[in-house]
Order: sequence, then C-alpha cells, then structure tokens
Amino acid sequence: MEVSPKSPASPKARSLSGKVFDVLSGFGLATVTLLLLGLLTWFATLEQIDNGLYQTLTKYFSWKSAFLLPEINGKVVPLPLPGGYWVCAVLLVNLILGGVIRMRKGWGHAGNLISHCGIILMLIGGGVAHHFSERGNMAVGQGASSNVAEDYFEYVVEVAEIKEGKPQNVHVIRGKEIEDLEGGKLRTYRLPDLPFDLQLTGYLNNAVPVSANERAPDRQQLVADGYFLMEKPKEEKAEEAEKFSAACYARVLNRDGTKSAPFILAGASFHPFTYRQGDRVFIVDMHKRLWVMPFTLKLDQFTAAFHPGTMRPSKFVSKVTRVENGGEAKVTIQMNEPMRYEGFTFYQASYGPPGAAPGDKMYSVFEVVKNPADKWPEYSLWIVAAGMAITFLIKLGSFLAAGSRKKRHV
Amino acid sequence: MSNSSSKIGRWIAAGLAMAVLISVFYNLVIDNMPKGEVRQVADYTPWSAATLAVAETLPLQNGGRIKPLSTFAGFSMLGLHGARSMEIKDSRGQTLKIKPTAWLMDSLFRPQLAIQLPTFRIDNSAVLEAIGVKARGKRDRYSYNDIEPGREKLVELAKTYEAIDKAKRDPVQTQVIDLAYNLRNYESLLGYFGFARFGVTLKGSGKDGAPDQHAEISAVMMTAPQIREQIAQSRGQGKGIEPHLQSMLEQVFDAANFAKFGLFILPPADPKTLTWLSAGDAIANAISDPKKDPQLGIADVKALEILARSVDDETAFRQQLSSLRDSLAKRAEVRGEYRHIQMEADYYQKNWFLNALVCFILGTVTALAMWTFGKGKAGRLLSWLTLASTATGLGICVYAIVNRCIIMQRPPVGNLYDTIIFIAATVVLISLVIEWMTRRRFALGIAPILGTLLIILARRFELGDAKDNMDPLVAVLNSNYWLTIHVLTITLGYAAGLLSAFLAFIYLLMRGLRLDNGDREIRRSLTRAVYGTICLTLFLALVGTVLGGIWANDSWGRFWGWDPKENGALLIVLWTLAILHARLGGYIRDWGLHFAAVFTGAVVTFSWWHVNFLGVGLHNYGFTAGKGTIWLFYIVIAAILVFGVVARAIEQNGKGRAAK
Repeated sequence: MEVSPKSPASPKARSLSGKVFDVLSGFGLATVTLLLLGLLTWFATLEQIDNGLYQTLTKYFSWKSAFLLPEINGKVVPLPLPGGYWVCAVLLVNLILGGVIRMRKGWGHAGNLISHCGIILMLIGGGVAHHFSERGNMAVGQGASSNVAEDYFEYVVEVAEIKEGKPQNVHVIRGKEIEDLEGGKLRTYRLPDLPFDLQLTGYLNNAVPVSANERAPDRQQLVADGYFLMEKPKEEKAEEAEKFSAACYARVLNRDGTKSAPFILAGASFHPFTYRQGDRVFIVDMHKRLWVMPFTLKLDQFTAAFHPGTMRPSKFVSKVTRVENGGEAKVTIQMNEPMRYEGFTFYQASYGPPGAAPGDKMYSVFEVVKNPADKWPEYSLWIVAAGMAITFLIKLGSFLAAGSRKKRHV
Repeated sequence: MSNSSSKIGRWIAAGLAMAVLISVFYNLVIDNMPKGEVRQVADYTPWSAATLAVAETLPLQNGGRIKPLSTFAGFSMLGLHGARSMEIKDSRGQTLKIKPTAWLMDSLFRPQLAIQLPTFRIDNSAVLEAIGVKARGKRDRYSYNDIEPGREKLVELAKTYEAIDKAKRDPVQTQVIDLAYNLRNYESLLGYFGFARFGVTLKGSGKDGAPDQHAEISAVMMTAPQIREQIAQSRGQGKGIEPHLQSMLEQVFDAANFAKFGLFILPPADPKTLTWLSAGDAIANAISDPKKDPQLGIADVKALEILARSVDDETAFRQQLSSLRDSLAKRAEVRGEYRHIQMEADYYQKNWFLNALVCFILGTVTALAMWTFGKGKAGRLLSWLTLASTATGLGICVYAIVNRCIIMQRPPVGNLYDTIIFIAATVVLISLVIEWMTRRRFALGIAPILGTLLIILARRFELGDAKDNMDPLVAVLNSNYWLTIHVLTITLGYAAGLLSAFLAFIYLLMRGLRLDNGDREIRRSLTRAVYGTICLTLFLALVGTVLGGIWANDSWGRFWGWDPKENGALLIVLWTLAILHARLGGYIRDWGLHFAAVFTGAVVTFSWWHVNFLGVGLHNYGFTAGKGTIWLFYIVIAAILVFGVVARAIEQNGKGRAAK
C-alpha cells in the first residue's frame, strides 16, 4: 500500500495564505466534503419519500440553503448539515486546488490528474445545466403540428392588447421577476408600449382563487372581486412541482395616476383578466411559459406497443416530420432515442388519450430540453474512465510486480 | 502472538463457521420442507415421465412472451404453493413428490384429484380463521377442498380490504386479498378444460322421456354460421331467440369464459397478430365473429377435447398430447416463436443454480477445513478441492447465465433476480482472480462462501417474488446496448463492493482472533486486496453511474433526477472516494481501511436492495418481500464493526502493556 507521506514540517512557519491553501487543497477537506455529500444524498433520498422530490431538492441542494436539518419519517434529525450546493462548490475548489494545482505531477500521477480534470468538467457541466438549462413539454396530435413547448415549472405573466381578435404588443414578465413577491412585497412593471403599468404582489407558487362567499379568508388574505388566494393544502403524498399552480394579486396603474381595483392572476384560471381603457381591450394572464421553437414538428404517426397479452409497454414510437424554412426531414423519436437538433433535444415522454382504443386518434407528448451542457457528462466520463484506468492499471502492475505471489502461507 | 490465543481464535472462527453452515442447512432443507403432516390423496397415480416430458415443451404465451408449459407451471406453483415440489401420500401410504408440470397437469386434466392437493401455502392461520375455515398450524398448506367452504366469505372480505389504501393494510388483510386472487387464478386452471369434459346439453333433444343429448363444443362451433343465420332470421321476424338455442349459446359462452384466462396455448393464424389465444378465445371467436375463419379454432378445440377426454388412458393421452404439442410447436416455429422452448425446459429441469449451490457448499466445507489445517499436505489437498468445487460451481453459474441470455435474447441483467445470480458469479470470479494474484488462500476460501450465500439469496428471492424472471422488460429498459454497458457495469460495481466488505471482514476476523499469528505478510496482502477491490468498486460504480446518467439523458431528458437508485450508486462512488482520499491523507490506516471497507457492504446493500423498498423513483423492480433480511444484514455489519473496534482496543491495550 502506497500512501503519500504527510508534508514534512517546514523549517519556516507557513504564511496564513499558505495555510489556507493547504486546507483548501488538502485530503482532509476532500474527505470531509465527500462524506458530507454522501450524508446529504442519503438523507435527501429518504426525505423525498415524505416531502416529494422538488421540496427535498430545494432544501438540500438550492444555493439559498446554507444549512439544513434532515428529517426521517417526518421527524427532525438533530444533525445540522451544510447545504449541498455549497458543499459541491467547496469540493470543486478543493478539486482544482488539490487535485490539479497542488497534486504531484509526473507519469505516475497522470491518471489521477486526468480523472480530476474529468470530474471538474462534470461538476461544471452540472452547474451549467442547473443554471442554464430549460425544460418543457410539447403535445402534438396525430396529423397536427406544433412549434411551441410549455415550460414545466415557470409561470409568467403575459400582458397584451387585443386588436382584430389577436393579441398584439405582447409583454412577458418572467417567473424569476415575480417569484420573490411573497407576502406584502410588491413591484411595478413598466410596460412602455401600453397605456398602463402593472403592479404585482402576494405571489404563491401553489394556490387557487377561492370565493370569499364560500369560505372566509383564514389568514387575512386580500379579497379581490370577491375572491382571495388560498395556498393549496399539503397533500399526504407530496405533490410534484410540475403540478403546482402559481397565483398572485395584480393592479393596473394608469398613466394618469389612477389605478384599477386589485385582481387575481392564477395559473389555474381558465380565462385571462380583461381590462378596458376606452375602446381598447387588454388582457393580463398568468400561465406557464411558452417557448417557440425555430422549427415545427408534425406528428405523422404514434405507436404504443405492449408485450403481447400484457399491459407492459414494449415501445413508444413517434414518427415526425421536422419542418424548417420550407424544408422537411423525417425523424423517429422513441424511448432511448431522442431527437437532438439546433440545441434542443426532444424525448418521447408520454402519450394519450388515456385508455385509447385501437383506431383512436392519439397524441404524443415530447419533453423538450435545451441544455448547453447536454453532452458534457459523456465527455467527462471518457476522461475520468481513462484517468482511473491508467491509475489502477499502474497500481495493479506494481502490486503484481511486488512479488507477493511468491510467498504462500495460511 | 501466543499460540494459545491463536487456538482460541480458531475455535471461535470454527464456531462462527458452524453457525453459518447451520443457517445454510436451515435455509436449504428445513425451510423448504412441507409444513404440517403430509396429505393423503387417495386414488392418486403419478404421471409417467414420458407424458411429463411431452407436456413440458408445450408452448404457451404468458407474461408477454412464449415459454414452455414447465416454466408457467413452475412459477404458478411457486406463487401458490411457495415451493417447486409438494409431497403427498397415496392410498398405500407411499410418499410421492409432485413437481410443477405434474401439478399443473393435475389441475388441468384431473381436477377431482387436484382439489385434494395441498396447493395453497398459508403463512398466517388468521387468514383462514377470518373466512371461517378451521386452521391447523400457524403456517401450513391447504387444498382447494379445505378452503372452498370459506370462498364466499373470502371474496367478500377481499373486496372490503381492497378498498383500504395499500400502505395501510395489515399483513392479514394483504394475505386475504392475495389468497382470493390465488384462488380465482387456480379456479381458472381447474375449470379450463370444462368445455371438453362436459360439452353442451341440447335441451329438449331427448324424445319420449329419453335424456337430453350432449354435443361437443367443437361441433357447435362448426354450426356457428347456421346459428347466426337462425338468430338473424328470428330477429328479422321480430321474435326472440329460440329457447333451445338460447340455452345452448349460454352453455357455450359459459364454457368459453371458463377457458378464457388460464392458458394461452393457441398461436393465431395471422402472423401479424402477436397475442396467442386461449381455448375460450377460440370458442368465442368462432361463435360470435363471422369475419374470422373458424376452421383453425374448431380444429384446435376439437384436439383439446380429445386430449381432455383421453385422460383415463395415459398412453392414448400421451399420444394425443404429443400430437397437439407437435402441431402447436410447428405453428409457433413458423412464427419464429419456438426457438428456445426446449432450451428453457431443460434449463428449469436441470436446476443449474441448485447444482452450483451444491458445489459452493462443498467448496465452503473444504475451505473451512483448508483454513483449519493450514499449511502442509492436507491443507494443499483441501485447497485444490476447494478450487475444483468452486470453479465447477462458477462454471455452472456461467453456463446457466449464458443459457438465460440466449432464452431472453438480452444481456444477463435486467431485473433484481438477474443481479443476484450475476453478482454471485462475478464475486466468485473476482475472488479467484485475487487468489491467482495473491496465492494466500483467503480469497480462495471466501469465494465458495460468498457463492453459497448469494445463490441462497437468489433462491429466497425467487420464492418470495414468485414471478417469471425471464419475462420481457418495459420499454425504457428495452435497450440491449444500455443494459450491457450501464447495468452490467453498475452490477459489477456492487459485486466488487460486496467483495471488498467481505475481504475486510476476513481481515478483522483474522486479526481480531489472531488467526494469522501476527503474520504481517498476510495482513499486508489482505489490505492490498481490499484496497484493490475498493479501487475496482469506485471505477465500476463511477463509470456505471455516469453511464446511467447518460442513458437517463437519452430516455428521460435529464442526466440526473435524484432517483433513489441513482442516489444509491452515487453513494457508493462518494463513499469509496472518501475512503481513498482518507487513506491518501493518512487519516485511516490498516484498521480504518478495513472498517470503512466493511461499511461499504452496508452502502452497497442500500444501493442494490434497500432503495427498491422506498416506493419512490423510476427504477421499479416491483419487489416488496424480504425487507427484514436487509435489516438483518445491517445488524451483521454493525456487529462486525463493533467486533473490530473491540479487537483493535484489545490489541492496542496489549501493545501498550508490552511497551511498558
């Protein structure tokens, strides 16, 4: 067993920056962060049973979470742990400083160096995907076309003027600009092309409008037009975030200083809020963000096949035509074989309608992902695997060369 | 190191080994013995081996694939009876062993005998008490005749309990529901050939006081066009269906319904139709679907009728069965669906993994003797015996796994059962490779022990799951490429992790009980082996995990979804990385490395098994039995760690006193 000896005591005392560097690049920090990540992963795995994946991930791995107390079976474990995001950040620093800069260079350590570089690429890829990837879904009926995907999570507020029955001058307020408006916090959004601005407040990420006649507000919520926003009660089994329905209160601020009565915007509403100013008609709506693709997909045929005599699915196949700038391309999208094109990836996600009989018109649902780091994990895998293979083969060679085989005993 | 302490250590080790052997014996023999007294079934005559050999290769469709009747019989019996054989006594008091194919043949063709067989395993007598049936022991096996008086109550209770949320049902409620389903499924086998045994009674056909005549269902099927025409005529005249016709049709559809679900043994005429037909389907199609050509269905039903009616003359029965099997096999062959039937029938008949288990047990015994005798001629001879039996067991495992791959037409690992047998084979193989590299006999000794334990686990799992583990996979897993590169890699990672834990356990045992007489070379060699297997675990788990991420990225559109199975694999990676970094930093030395390696066993168990019980995530094996075994395993690991800590403290204390 070859263990790198601890650094001999330096004749001169290390400077403070040197000591900090030693700690940040040391095996000790590497071991501690790896163990902490392991603990966090283990607790998060158990906690998602009760609290759902989204809530658990937010608690354990959001950048906002500096410290946390794990829970098992709904009971708090008195073991404060640092947030996973920051542990990963420390690990990345440790990896760069210790695993690349400080590490001994030479052929004997080349494998480890390569592996560390691969893991750095993987961690950075994870960060890029976390911060910059976008996800949504696109449902297309057989024979129909679509070029719009709906985001899974992000609710936006859309303001537009209706002219000749169509929305014009569309303004979209993105989710990240409204998600912090909890409680009494309010914000005014300037709409320069329109004769008014919009003020939003009281954002809730999962709520429904309730009639004040049917149920009295229990937390002194604002009542607007006879309705107030009630946060959805927690279900016994945690609801997944893509089913959340966001809502907030809004008010129109006219240019002449007057303002409308407050009204409710809710993702669960079937119709947008209509505002009239003279002869002009405007709509204000809250819905999940829609993104327009640079091309159109036409679903030519969808097939759901099951193993004979069972309800066990064997394959889901969508044959589509991709239409772009007048050109067409035939593509097949199925489980394990997505379509990657122009930075977007389309996956076969689900289909419908549920319980369709043979001959019924089907629709196919694609998961649409735009991830700048889509292929980075794959690249990093080859780098890490190559590095580890070099390291372990060298160790195996030295083990065999040590001649332990010659000595027999027991 | 004193010789006396070494001797005491060897006795303790021998005691531990005996305890392991006794538990193995208990698992193998006692637990599979029939509970309660052996039933007497009067008039029971066993099927001849020749008849059973023909029946075994009868093809049928079940679980989404074509398989031999023997496979269907094996898993049906396992599900109901909890074993692949049952013992009864005939009228002369002679004990007979009934195997799955014979049991199924009784159920199908001799229901009057089958209902007396102790088919149903009841693990809690409270289930029978709840339905008003007198129970014998706490766990026992009962016949259909025993349970039938409580059938009505059973169905009523099962309906009530099904309304309760699955997670909130108590074990008795769950078992009541299971028994109700088992009874219904068994009835579909008992009544399957009712159409052939009874035919239809032609009401009003007996003239002048003579009894009504009987007709075969196949004969009625032949007249289907005329029946349909007569019905159409009656309706055209505004009349109802003639009473005698109405009665006949009711009987035909009743017979069809009884024969609708038990066995799907008739390959359809249309090669594009993938779903095989049951006898009931063939009857119903001929009567009610004028678009389909009834001739093939009529011929099939006629053949089944002749077969069922010839059961009292076994020679004639065998001839008819053989002719039917050949005819169905030929049709299946034309469809390309009979290729591996014989191979699969042989696979289950040969019981390869039981043979492998026997070899591993032999290897375990010789390994324990080898360690006891130490150096010398006897030790050397025993080491060769250990190697021979272990290598034979490994060869059998590999042969069986290759057979399974050919039958399933996919890589070896696709479900939890596959992982166990694959891990058993790879753990033994890696151990033998380590032995080849070290020549210290510790890896040679643990190879058959691990092989034994894992094959027992596979058998217990198969028994608890009672589902055909060769059935096809769901769409997302239907990728031979990913099954090969991701699943095999991660499963090899589990194998390496378990091996490192076991090697470390041997180290702690050896050093703690002073079995090595303080030989530093052996310790160093074991430490190197443990370090090497941890490196291997890391490599395989990391590559396997990332490959899984890449697969998930292609299937579900995300590299990482925090699915428990993914998290489990990540835990192995993080833990082994932590061990290696702690070792490099000098934070753990020999003792520490081995403690950490033993704990790797718990991490691997969590990842491999425990996450399947959490009830969340996309990796669903559908396995729910045997949770208690996991906790037992964790307790064993904790006990080993405690033992190691105590042993280390004693050693440190001894050194301290010696220094003084």
